[in-house]
Parts: sequence; C-alpha cells; structure tokens
Amino acid sequence: MLKHRLIPCVLLKDWQLVKSIQFDSYRTIGHPTTTVRVYNARNVDELIVLDIDASIKGEEINTEIISDMADECFMPLTIGGGINSIEAIYTVLNAGADKISINSKAIENQNFIRESANIFGSQCVVCSIDVKKINNEYTVYNKEKGGIDIHPLTLAKEYESMGAGEILLTSVDHEGTQQGYDLELLNQFKDQLRIPIIINGGMGRPEHGVQAIQNGADALAAAYIFHFSQYTPAQIKEELCKCNIPVRSSI
Amino acid sequence: MLSDNTIAIIDYGMGNLRSVEKGFQKIGANVVITNDHQSLKNADKIVLPGVGAFKEGMENLKKLKLIELLEEEVIEKKKFFLGICLGMQLLGRKSYEIEETPGLNWVDGDVVKFNDKELKVPHVGWNNIALTGKNCLFQNVPDQADFYFVHSYYFKPGTKYAASLTNYGVEFVSSVNKENIFGCQFHPEKSQKFGLEILKNFANLKNGN
Amino acid sequence: MKFCTKCVMPDTKPDLHFDDKGVCDACRSQEAKNDRIDWEKREKEFLSIVDKYKKNTDYDCVIGVSGGKDSTYIVIKVLELGLNPLCVCFEPTIPTKVGRKNLDNLNGLGVDLIHVKRNPVVYKKLAKEAIKRVGDPEWQNHLGIFTIVPHFAIKFNIPLIVWGESPQIEYGGPAASKGRDVLDRQWLEEFGGLLGNRISDMIGVEGLRKKDLSLYFYPEEEDIKRVGVTGLFLGYYFKWDLREILAKSRSYGFSTTVRPVETTYENFENLDCYSNHLHDYMKYLKYGFGRATDNACLDIRLGYISREEGVRLVNKYDGIPPRKAISEYLKYTGFSAEELQGILDSFTNKKIFKRNGTREFLKDIDGSLIRKEEYVVR
Repeated sequence: MLKHRLIPCVLLKDWQLVKSIQFDSYRTIGHPTTTVRVYNARNVDELIVLDIDASIKGEEINTEIISDMADECFMPLTIGGGINSIEAIYTVLNAGADKISINSKAIENQNFIRESANIFGSQCVVCSIDVKKINNEYTVYNKEKGGIDIHPLTLAKEYESMGAGEILLTSVDHEGTQQGYDLELLNQFKDQLRIPIIINGGMGRPEHGVQAIQNGADALAAAYIFHFSQYTPAQIKEELCKCNIPVRSSI
Repeated sequence: MLSDNTIAIIDYGMGNLRSVEKGFQKIGANVVITNDHQSLKNADKIVLPGVGAFKEGMENLKKLKLIELLEEEVIEKKKFFLGICLGMQLLGRKSYEIEETPGLNWVDGDVVKFNDKELKVPHVGWNNIALTGKNCLFQNVPDQADFYFVHSYYFKPGTKYAASLTNYGVEFVSSVNKENIFGCQFHPEKSQKFGLEILKNFANLKNGN
Repeated sequence: MKFCTKCVMPDTKPDLHFDDKGVCDACRSQEAKNDRIDWEKREKEFLSIVDKYKKNTDYDCVIGVSGGKDSTYIVIKVLELGLNPLCVCFEPTIPTKVGRKNLDNLNGLGVDLIHVKRNPVVYKKLAKEAIKRVGDPEWQNHLGIFTIVPHFAIKFNIPLIVWGESPQIEYGGPAASKGRDVLDRQWLEEFGGLLGNRISDMIGVEGLRKKDLSLYFYPEEEDIKRVGVTGLFLGYYFKWDLREILAKSRSYGFSTTVRPVETTYENFENLDCYSNHLHDYMKYLKYGFGRATDNACLDIRLGYISREEGVRLVNKYDGIPPRKAISEYLKYTGFSAEELQGILDSFTNKKIFKRNGTREFLKDIDGSLIRKEEYVVR
C-alpha cells in the first residue's frame, strides 16, 4: 500500500539552510551537508529544498550545493527556486535533483508546466502554490507580487490539467507558527484533485500531521518540528501509525 | 572484496545515472558510467538504470548497438545484470506504452499502464514489497519493506521469475530474478537503508550464489 | 559577507541579526548589559530564587563544571553567597593536563565534586559519528554536559541548577531565545547547538542501544516535575565580563597556559580538551569565523580592545589549523589524516574559501585556507 510521506521542506539562502516564519523572517537550520546527513539518519521520506536566493534575488541556481546535497541524499530530492526555463530544469536535474518545483513561473505561464511535463515526465514536476487569507478569502500569494486574484484550488486544477505531478500547498499564515496545518484550506481541496497534495506550513506537534492526513493531505511537509522541537520524525510516524495512517517505518 | 570488481552503469541517454552511481559508491563498490563496448566487456557486473519512455529506451539501446552486446555479456557469459525502473521494464516481452514495442524479452511479461481512471498515476511514493521467496538480492531486507517507486507503467504478474510483488490498485511485479539477471521497478538508490542494502547485495554477488 | 560595524562578527553566524546601523544584536545585548539592567535588583532576585527552590537540606544547587575559568568563577560566587553546591563534571573528550589541574583546583575550593567518567567506548562511537554527520567533534559533549546535570539534580533531589553565561545574551541568538532566563529541555532542543541531531538519531550507530545512551537523554518530564528542576543562567543575574572572571578565578588558583590556545589569541579558555579546538576550527570552516573572532568580538564589546585591533587579531589568528589538536584527535579516533581531511572538506564553505580549477581548496604554506577578497574582515 502506498504510504503517506513525511518531507522536510527547507530554504536555501546564502549557502545555508533556513526556514521562514510567515514568509517574513528566517531562522538558520544549518549547513546543507550536515542537515542532509541528519535527515538520512532519520529516515524521512523525501527532501524539498527551495533556493530563495535564486527565486527572490534572481541569482543563478546554486548547482554546486544541489550536487553536494544530492550526493548525500539517498531519498528523492526536489529542488525549487528560480526554475523558469527548460534549461534550468536540465541544470537542476543534472546536478542531481529527482524532481523540480515550479512556483512563480507557473503562475506567469501555465504552458511551461505542460512543456516541462512532456519533456521530463509529470512525476518530475511539482507545482508549488503559496496561499494567504486576504479579506477572509483564500488567495494565491507571491512574495514579490503579493496576493494574486485566483483561488488556489482553481489554480491547482489548471496545473493538474497541464500535467503537474504533485501540488505543494503552503499556507503562508500558518508557516512557522507551529499551530497546525490549515485544515480549512485542506478541506477545500479534499477529493478535488487526482494528483497528490503535499501540505506545508504549521506543523508543531505530531497530532497536526494526523489531522492533515485525515483532512485530505497525501504528504506532510514541515521544517520547524524537525529542527527546533524535541519531536523526531520517528515519533511523528509513530503517531500516524497509531491512527492507522500507513507510513514507512525504518524497522 | 567489493573494490575488486567493477560495476558498469550504462549511459544510454535515459537519465538517472548519478544517483545510481552515488548509491554504489556509498556502499564501497567500484563503478564506471559508460556506453563504450570495451568497458562493458571489461566490467564484472552491469547495471541498466533509466527513467522515461520504453520506446525511447529501446531505440537508444539499438542506436548504441548495445542489445547484441548485452545478449552476449548477460545471456551467454552470464554476467550479473541489474535493471532499475525502466531498466527492469525493458527486460520484458513488450510494452504497450503509446504503441506496442518489443523489449529485450529476457523475462516473460508485458508492460502496461496503470488505470488512470481509478488510480492517481504515476505511482509515486513509498510502497511495500511482498517477497515471493528467499532471494539473495534481498538479504538483510525484511519482507514488506518499503521502497521508492515512481512509474506509470508496470510489469504484469504471471512470470515465475517475480522476486517480489507490490500492490497499487493491482498487483504488479516489483522485482525479478532469473539466474544472473535481476530487475527492480523501485529505485534502490533512492530507498535509503534498505535500498542501499540491495545495491550492496548485488555488488557482492559471486558466481555460484 | 557583511561584518558588524561595531565588533567583527560576520552575518554568516546563524541567527545573528544586524540593525539598520549595521550593528549586530550581540553588541546591542552587551550595551543593554551596561546601561539598562539593574544588576543589584537581579542579584536580589537570584537570592530569593535560591531560597524559594531550596529543597535539599544539604545542597542548595547543582553546578555543571569543567574546571575552566567560568565554572571556577561560578563556584567562587556561589560559595561567596553562602551556598553549598554539588558540582558535576562530564569528562572532556581528550583531557589535557592543565584541564585536570584546574578541575582539581576547583574541587579544592571546597565543594563536593562528582567526576563522571562516562563509558568511553560508547562516547567514542558518538564522537566519530558526530563529526561525520554534523561536522562537530564535540556534539556529544555539548549534549552530555547539559543532560548530566539535570540527571544528578533529580538523583540528589536538588531542584536548582546554576549555569554560567547565557550564550544568547553574550553572543546573540534568535529573537525567540532572548529574555529566556531558564535552561530547560525546550531550550536545549532549540538553542543548545545540537545542529538538528537528536540523541535518538544515534541509536543503531555501531550497535549503540538506547540503554547505552541513558546519560545523554534529557530526563523524563515527570521526574523533572517531581523534583521541580529548573536551570538558571548566572549570567542573567550577574554581569558577565570574561576578563574580570578570569582575574577572579586566577586569584583562586586557576591556571592558564603560557602560549595562546590553538585557533585563537588568548590562553585562558577551552584549556581542558583538544577536541574543542578542532570544534572551533570546524566552525571556521563552515561559517568563515572561528574562536579568534568570538574572542575579539567579546573584547571589543567589553571595551578591552578597539575594532581596529580586533580586525588585526582576527586576520592573524582565525583559521590557522590546530596541529596539536588534530594530531591528538587522530590518535583518539583512529581516523587517518586523509579520512579527517575528507570530513573537513565536506564541511568547508565553498562560498568563502578559494578553490583551484579542480575544485580543491587552496591553502597557504601553513595550511590555512584562503579567503576570497570580499570575505576578509576590514
């Protein structure tokens, strides 16, 4: 049976890994090599790294760090940040990534998703959607441009029709708060898509993961809980297991 | 000794080479990425990785004139061979991806698509294998262990060479073994501890196992 | 790489923030120490807390000690306040002669000292994995010194633990940690420098079992609650000045070395262990600043040197590979020089240090890495 996945989702900034709090401030997680080695030892299921220097500052994609991480990573590695052309995808995959995550470029030009999926396969293409509640309505959010007048589910459905393999759904409001995932948002997505949803933003305790899966998430992305709390991935999986949620155990 | 023999990973333009290389290096094996005929002949073991389309895979092998070479090295000379993901699918009789395409036909079985009306396709994520019996490739790997899969097509069950089965809506063959030929639908190089164990077991195979 | 305009700390230091004048928050924190804190009030607070927490009829508090200038000072201070502490020392990785001498000196001040000689076989397995996994040869020691003390607090039924300097006040740290005067499990997990690795992640390494690691697990919540264990930073209640502390400790018999300790210019810290010098060097490799920078920043903030002098000291001392420490470390672990070099290289910051065409790090004849122009402090 297919298992639900536990996926650390971290940001790459100035050659260090960091996590953000409501997209506003950053806390250091550490050296990329250290962090990947620790994740390997902890048997998380996948790793997502978003290069915010490339995406926000428009810097070149840091292929060297990607390769360094990929070399240590014996589980699937998704790289995002600044992926805005087919060449960029080649670069990132050649550096060792298994999947790529597209965010801003997909909002700009949805055909890019179709193109990427055709060349590299849907399983390789993750579409990342950041969501904020503005005037009590869920809306797609971009760090530079602010709110974009489209409902995240509408956008996700368009991405799906273009060939996206997975959706990474991040709640800006919940991120870094450790108050739990945005279950209301998840409920709007429940049973609406045929492709997997990775929910991101807000996990503070193992119970939050259980709630998210029960509300329709296929996989759980998190950062705070792995680095700044006493909960280990093993404990989170134990909790999921107790609630009959199939997860990979490392026996 | 692991470092005594060389494992050749075939580069036939179907990607996925580096992670397989890193996986073997992690467990201490000597690896070389190549499509040069002489290097393949010199290697002690051969690995065929790959992600992508069946048709393209077969065509690329043909273009590089590798099919005859592989038949010689693997079927005749009985060199140990491991096919990963697409590399395992190519072992089959034929695939129904887009159009009917014949495979290497080393293991009986056809390759068909998951039913995307009922299932989320591709099959991507961690899923468990059910071993059909004891197999040297799975030494130190418990039955029902999870491995990382990412594929839209699968090897239909029925072959007596299935080493493990997995369920995703339907039961499919997740690994095969016919004498010196092995294949894994999942990605051992992406499957953490147990995946590396499989690579180690393959690297350690000696004739007479 | 930006440097603080007041001290010489770079922005590669994790979680350090610079304000709009380019001054780092460690400097601002020190200013607060000088200007805005009522130390008399805090001393009174401390004494009333001790009174409140006193449970054990014999011991007033537990102190984790190494024999260094700080723990010597804490013991002196606590004895001056009329308290009776129980001291606990978690043995260093590669003990030095002067370190042992100083520990005996601390004992001789007149305290009961429990010298914990932890299982060396288990410890070495942890040490060898830690340097490979997180690039810190002292990871297991940092963990051990923080967990052993609450274990003894519980066993002896002594609720109050007295720690020394508050790292966040002295060195700066994430905003969430400021104003925290208590060291508890949450503090340890978040700010204790564990680099994301947990002791439970070490189970299985070279056959290590959970029961081999009981000293390294923070005590159970129920035991902590039952005894009421609470850890305070002395540095929160008494103004911390490293040279004043040094002077006081020396007057009570604390010894320094003749020559500067490797990786820095001073001769009075980290005297008790060689592995610590390698830890400091690896910090330099990862972030581009080492112990010399830390010392210079403190000296600048406390007014002992100017920023200009700090810059000279950093450029002279930071980044010199600690030969003696490395040699002792190789003897201790059994790693070959190549193995260790491979580990060091995997953590060396590619942004800061120069490399040649084949991507190898360039070195000067003394073995130091070469910084790119824009990463040299001025």
